[in-house]
Amino acid sequence: MRIGKIIGTVTLNHSHPSLRGATYKLAVPLSLAELTATVEDSVDKVAETVVVYDELGAGQGSLIAISEGGEAAQPFLPAEKPVDAYNAAILDQIDVKPMNSIPK
Amino acid sequence: MQLGIVVGTATATVKHRSMEGWKLLLVQLLSADGRSPDGEPVLAVDRLGAGRGETVMLSSDGKGTCELLKSETTPVRYSVMGIPDRGAPNNPTNDE
Repeated sequence: MRIGKIIGTVTLNHSHPSLRGATYKLAVPLSLAELTATVEDSVDKVAETVVVYDELGAGQGSLIAISEGGEAAQPFLPAEKPVDAYNAAILDQIDVKPMNSIPK
Repeated sequence: MQLGIVVGTATATVKHRSMEGWKLLLVQLLSADGRSPDGEPVLAVDRLGAGRGETVMLSSDGKGTCELLKSETTPVRYSVMGIPDRGAPNNPTNDE
């Protein structure tokens, strides 16, 4: 799971039948440098966005745990859904120190 | 399995049921040189009690994590498998 910041929502006009009723959020995965930046710093240059299946109800600007790949579809078992990014948790707090400040 | 450095911790109230009671660590995976970061930091479940700055060995086996969390439906992939001793070969926390 990577940490991502919610920057928007996605609504579908047509969708795979198994995805009806789902809500989707648009998230930006954060690098270590972005995670250690001050809270006021917004995500300036967006290199990658991920559409995340969200059943927890994350709000705009929230930090979430993005589960990707095969594990993203696992919560729906035994149902099978074509989901490859899933909001596993809404993070209340993260406490990060940059690697170069970690004593070797 | 890959080595990484624990760069932080995360807490969440609203989360998948399978993660309840588990500590979440933010781990920066490392490249073959044992120093440079490999990709973005990832969240991993930990029961060994690794702390920030420690080197850990992460498993990226989602099925193994299923067994660890006793949940077939967990969205978690990474789990802390072990904490290498200081002084082990190629341990990034070794002194120069």
